Parts: sequence; structure tokens; C-alpha cells
Amino acid sequence: MLVLPLIVVFVFSFGERGPAGGYAPAFSFDNFLNLGARWAAFKNTMVLAPIGTLACLLIAYPLAYFLAVRASPKWQTMLLILVIVPFWTSILIRSYAWIFLLGGKGLPSLIAAMGLGHIQLINTPFAVLVGIVYGYLPLMVFPIYVSLERLDKRLLEAASDLGAPPMNTFLTVTLPLSMPGVATGCMLVFILLMGEFLIPAMLGGGKVFFVGNALVDLFVQSRNWAFGSAVAVALVLVMLITVTAYMRFTRRWAGGRDDISLM
Amino acid sequence: MTDRNDFISREKFMQELMRYKKGSVSRRHFLGVTGLGLATSVLGATLGRQAMAQTNIGDRVVLASWPNYHDPADFDSFKALTGAAVDLNVFGSNEEMLAKLQAGGTGWDVFVPTNYTISTYVELGLIEPLDMSLIPNYDPASFDPRFAGPGTVDGKIYAVSKDWGTTGMATNTANNGGKALTSWKEFWDMTQAEFSGRTTVHDYQLTTIGNALKYFGYSFNSIDPKELADAEKLLLAVKPHLFAITSDYQPAMRNGDAWLAMCWTGDGKQLNRDMPEIEYTLGKEGGEIWSDFYAVPVGAPHREAAYALINYLLDPAINMKETLFHGQPVADARVNAMLTPERLADPILYPAADLLSALEFGAAQTLTNPDRAELMARFKSA
Amino acid sequence: MRLYALAVYLFLYVPIGIIVLFSFNAGKAASQLQGLSVQWYGKALSNTFVVEAFQNSLVVALTSSILATVFGTMAALALQSVKGKSRALFDAMIYIAVMVPGIVIGIATLIAMVTLFDLVNPALKALFAGAANAPQLGLGYGSLIAAHGLFSMSLVIIIVRARISGMDRSLIEASADLGATPWGTFRQVTLPQIAPGILAGFLLAFTFSFDDFIIAFFVAGSNTTLPIYVFSSIRRGVTPEINAIGSMVLAVSLCLLIAAQSILRRKADKS
Repeated sequence: MLVLPLIVVFVFSFGERGPAGGYAPAFSFDNFLNLGARWAAFKNTMVLAPIGTLACLLIAYPLAYFLAVRASPKWQTMLLILVIVPFWTSILIRSYAWIFLLGGKGLPSLIAAMGLGHIQLINTPFAVLVGIVYGYLPLMVFPIYVSLERLDKRLLEAASDLGAPPMNTFLTVTLPLSMPGVATGCMLVFILLMGEFLIPAMLGGGKVFFVGNALVDLFVQSRNWAFGSAVAVALVLVMLITVTAYMRFTRRWAGGRDDISLM
Repeated sequence: MTDRNDFISREKFMQELMRYKKGSVSRRHFLGVTGLGLATSVLGATLGRQAMAQTNIGDRVVLASWPNYHDPADFDSFKALTGAAVDLNVFGSNEEMLAKLQAGGTGWDVFVPTNYTISTYVELGLIEPLDMSLIPNYDPASFDPRFAGPGTVDGKIYAVSKDWGTTGMATNTANNGGKALTSWKEFWDMTQAEFSGRTTVHDYQLTTIGNALKYFGYSFNSIDPKELADAEKLLLAVKPHLFAITSDYQPAMRNGDAWLAMCWTGDGKQLNRDMPEIEYTLGKEGGEIWSDFYAVPVGAPHREAAYALINYLLDPAINMKETLFHGQPVADARVNAMLTPERLADPILYPAADLLSALEFGAAQTLTNPDRAELMARFKSA
Repeated sequence: MRLYALAVYLFLYVPIGIIVLFSFNAGKAASQLQGLSVQWYGKALSNTFVVEAFQNSLVVALTSSILATVFGTMAALALQSVKGKSRALFDAMIYIAVMVPGIVIGIATLIAMVTLFDLVNPALKALFAGAANAPQLGLGYGSLIAAHGLFSMSLVIIIVRARISGMDRSLIEASADLGATPWGTFRQVTLPQIAPGILAGFLLAFTFSFDDFIIAFFVAGSNTTLPIYVFSSIRRGVTPEINAIGSMVLAVSLCLLIAAQSILRRKADKS
């Protein structure tokens, strides 16, 4: 059942486009040979998805650390809830708010008013990255928070009692122990980003294209179901390879521990 | 967005309509205040007919159409008259509409195809021949056959004329020393220079590829592989300089993000009306002239309401309100007879004959041609 | 540190603030404030299409998440008893299923459904020959629930399995030793232990379905869900009505969150 849809897509990827669009049965590898025509979309995704994941991580980690270690227990739950609340409005509406903020009447006009000249933000990779970080930040904060929260605070105290500088404590104790959370968060965000369509569609103005956008185009505009299926198969393969490699890598990195899972 | 009703506000219109329906004001008063009095003679007949035809047509009708293309006030009054609310879905290209219909289960009752697509829809069995007895407001004799003609396939009427127009460009002249662009050559060249980062093109293969073809002097409808290759080269070179690829460019033009847009007549008129510095012009090499239609997909779930809506929108008085709102010319002589001479001389709606004669209607082949579809997809994903 | 946290919260809440602010706009524009009013809330609530889209979203989310939870839990339990080579195969399949992006699920369901309809519909037509309205299958509730259920099932399997593997197996053995029937063991020992996992899976599935746009975009047919409605409103030209819808969804979920929180706290206090 779970892999059934994949099989259908796999079968269709060997077909061809119908005369007026759609699908006609055939058996050829033409669609796969033609994948180069979407190289730019794959390249965009393969560049922006890791950068987006990394940006999420860099912004989320200090926040998760603050929430788990520094925040007063009284406020902890409240602050945590505040991280998820934005997650509860539709991503569409939140991205729409960013269209306004990054559009000519928003931040750029502020920047121009400060005398820093004209700068275009909307419909750029930067705008898409902002949307990505905004959309997926909670998914990164939570796993890291959980792993930091479990961390035995006595270890930290012991380290500082023994005179270790805070930076050393962080690097040798806190960071390694929070690795499972980091790995989980990154995986989650990365997987979702690889299939992203909405954020580039709304904040990229048709100029920043992910594989997801190319797929939507193939089904909803140029009606080439067979080629679309081939692109989908390629996307799944790329994801499987990168994620498997990533898991191998993080597992070794985390000292062969087995507690890094998808969820 | 401003309230763009030319006569009275939507709320006011509804109030007056309700008062009229309750009988607290006379028909003459109603027609006078709402401005519909201009059309008293025609309206007198149709309103009466519609009031009679108030059989139960259900509570909704689903319409698939284009951006900035209908006066919401007309939908409100349609609901007040018939009880059916209009659910409007907006699309940016004919290809997208075709894709939806091919996949099935759209739930659409009425949609708005462009001239060159209708024969394909008929071939694929996706639209039904219209039952003209349900559209008494459609008077074939008063429609310009140049624009209404493509609705008839094999002697049967499959689609009735909504309006027509051209595809040109809108320039915010404040950013170009007060001058509007006048050719596709300029459009594409200046996009790569002065207007870099400020131009939008349609998310629509016909016009975006077609107007790129015009840069080289080729036919707007070309499917010649060599000519398409030239167009692709141009589009790929231009892409980094575009502000966006979108068929809904009014917001970007209005807030100053975009200075130049590939633009349809009605959007040009709406922009120019609110911001006179934005001018609409045609490319002197040519480009597209088009006409849009109302059609009913096979298996429309609210078929009766679909016909009621088409008939309502083709009522010359309503159609006049629509054209004043959306700024596209209509092919109905009865409507044109009610418009002011200034309106009929508006160069945005009715371009000079020499510009007009260079334009081409879209050709059916462009809709199904795989090369054009793939070129557009490659351009977007580049 | 604190300043940093503050900055992140600002980043998170400025857009939300703007959404809420403009929902009270008296004017029609979504980007220019022209006085305050609550008219858009009234408009949204009296708009049948909004209300219906909300109901559709709710029905689809509930049905698909219940299906996903039931089948996902069963699959997770069944997988426990599979050993050896086939176990590795099943694991790999689940691993792949989790990895497949929503957009591919949407496309796959679209293709599968349309192909199926092309086969079944002519047969139905022949079967009901003569009848004015032969039943015809098409995209809609069914395909949407199937696609959402499929997507969230793999989430449920993973969550429940994590719970199962953390479970104390000796309890089950003890229960069997004490002569309990397998069903009794399941009901009285296994189920209570994995219940939190099931609940978490259900909530995740529900949230996913309720907020999903991309799968519905492909397979919803004429059934409008809330995200689809919002998407087409944005294309129609935004009015503050959308902001009002967004603000209301936000308010409702906030209330639910606070309610859940206080119930949990009361429970915690009791024990």
C-alpha cells in the first residue's frame, strides 16, 4: 500500500505525453534521458535545501539552547508554545505576509529611507530562504530542545566546577550530547524542503524554481504526465541517496550511537 | 485596491437592489440611481424576464476565469436575483484550465476559454454545445463575428463571446522619462538594460513565447523548431533580468516593484485609470489579438445555474457594467451603443488600425504543441 | 542570549502581527491600512464557501487521520512479529515511504485515480446504460482522504514503532504466562503502553492533513479545503478577508492549545 503510488509513478515514467497532453502508454527511456532539461531545478533544490536547513539550524540552536538551559522554568512552557503558535496559521497566509514585508512597500522602502539605496528582496533566493526559515524553524527547535532538555545539568555544573571555560564545556559536553536532536531536526527540515513548492512559488515569483515547482508545472501547465513522473522518480532517488548518505555520516559522527531516528 | 465601480459602490447598489425588490422604490428610481437607467429599454425587458425566471437554480455556480476580470458587484446582484452565489476560481493560462479539465473533477460550471482553445476542447469532448434557448440574452446578430466566430465549431455554438482585447505592454512612464515603449524589440532589450529587475512577463506560453518570437519578426504562433530555439535563447538571456513570471502583475505594477509588464488590454486600462503614468501600448511588430468566451464543461454540476449566470452576464446592461469595470472591449453592438463616444475612442481599448492589423489571433496548434509547452517549462525552471 | 531569543520571537511574530492587524482593515486593500473595522470577520463567517471549505478540511483531516492511525498502528504491530530478511524489506519500504515528498504522493494519487477512473467509468456507464445519471467516479473526497491517509500512515507507523521498541516486553510475556488471551494481553497491556504514541501519531496526521495544500491541489477535484480556498483567494486578489480567516484559525488553535495545556496541568497536579 505504502509504495503503491510510487510504483504507479515509476510505470508512468516510461510512457509518453498524449497528443493533447496527459499520458500515453509507451516504453522508452526518453523521459529519463531528457532529465537534463530540469537540471537547473534540481541544482536549485540541491543548493537551497541544504542552505535552508543550515540556516534553520543556526537560528534554531541558540534559541533551543536558551529555552532548555537558560530560560526560567516558569516561562519555559509558555515560550515553547510561542514557538509553535505561528505554525498553526496556514503557511500560505504566513508566506503572504512575507510578500508584503519583502515587497517594495515593506523592508526595501525602509532600507531606501535609511539612504542605503534600492534593493530588491522579493522574488529572490533570499526571499525564499527567509520563507523557508520562517516556515520550518519550529521543526528544528523542537528536536534540539528535547535533546538539550534531557541533558543531565549536573554534567554542566561538574564541568564548570572543574574550571572548564564555558566555551569548552559547550563544545565538549553540550554540543555532542545534543547531536541526535540536531540530526533529527536537520533530517526533518531537509526532507520537507526537497519537496517544497509553495514557498518558492509565493516568494520566488516564478524565478526561484525547486523541483516541486517544475513538477507542478509539468502536471498543471504543460501536461506532460510521463516526463513529470520521471522527474518525480528522479527526485525520490536523489532524496534516498542523500538522506541515506547523511544518516551513515551522522551515525559515524555521533560515535555509532543508534538513537538518531527520523522522528 | 480601490473601489473600482464606476457608477455606485457595491454596497449602495445592493441596498438599492433590495429596496427595489421589496418594492419600496420604483423601478425608475432604481435604474436612475444605479446608473442602469442608461440601458432602461434593454434592461426593462431583461429584468422582467429574470425576475420571472427565478426558478430554483441552486445555491451556487462555480466559475473559472482570469485575474481582474469581473466586477464583484455583478456577482452580488446575481446572487440577490437568483440565490446562487458565484464561486470564482482564477487561472493564469489556458493550459492550466485545460490541465484541470483533462484531469477531471473540476466542479466548474462555467469557464472562460480563449478563442484558439475552443476547437481543442470540442475535439477532446470537454465542453458541451450550448443550449441557446437558455441564453436569450445572446443575440448572434449583434456580435462582431471576428470575435464571436471561434465559439462556433462544426456549425454548433460551444461558447459565447465575453469580450476581446490585445496583448501589449504596460510601462510606468515615470521611470522612463515619460515615454512608453512601443515595440517588442524595446521590451526585451530594455528589460536586459534599464528595466533590469523591473519587468514581468506572463506565466503563459502563448504570449510569453509569442512575443519573444516577435522580437525576431517571426509569427506569434510559430511552432517552427528553429524559430522556437531563437525565442528560447532570448527568454533564457532575459530571465535573470525579470522581476517575476506571473499573469497577475497588477499588484507589482501598482506598488512600484515592477515598471514594465507584458499586459492585457483590461489590466492596462485598469492600471492607467488609477495611475495615469502607467501607459498601455502595443508592439509595432504585432502580437496577439484575442477574444474570450463563456463555455460550459461537460458534466457541470450546476448546469442550470451555469446558463443563468452566462445569460445574466450577457445582459447588455450588466455586460456594460462589466466592460467598464474590467476595461476590455466587448463584441456586442448593443453594449457599444450604450457607451460614450470617448470610451469608444479610447486608444487602449481600440488601438489604431495600423497597429491592430499587425496582430494575430492565437492558433489552436500552440495549445497542444509539445515543443512550446516544454520550452515554457524549461524557461521557468532555468 | 535573551536579546537573541527576543529577536527570534520578533522574527516569528512580526508577520503574524501584520496578518492580524490587516484583518481589522476598514479598507479593501491588504497592504494599506484605512481605518479599523471588524467587517471582514463578518464577511468571512457569512461566506458559505469559507465555511464549507473549513468543514471539508475538518472532515478530510478527521477521516484520513483516523484511518492512518488505525492502519498505521496495525502495521506497526504486525511488523513486530516479522523477522529476518522480510523484516529488512519492510523496514526499507517504510523508510522509502517516509522519504517520499508530499508533492510526489499528490501526483501519484492523481495518476493512479485518473487511470482507475478511466477503467471503471466506461464499465459503470455500460452497467447503468439507459439511466439518465450513470454514477461516475471522479476526484474528490475519496481521493483526497486516500492520499492524506497514505501520507500520514508512514508517520504513524514510525511514531508507534518507536514507542513499541521502548516498551517493556517482559510485561507481555508475564501476561501470557498468567494465562491471558492474546486479545486480552493486547487490550490490557500493549495498548495502554503504546497509547501515547498512537495519540501523537493521530495528532500529527490531523495537523498535517488540515494544513496540507500541495496534495489537495492535485487530487481534491471540486472539493475545496481551507488551504485551497486561501490559495485561490490570493490569486483572486487579496482582501483582508483572508487575514480574518487566518486570525480566526490562529485564535481557535491558541484556545485549544491553552485548554490542552491546562487539562494536562490539572492531570499532573492530581497524580
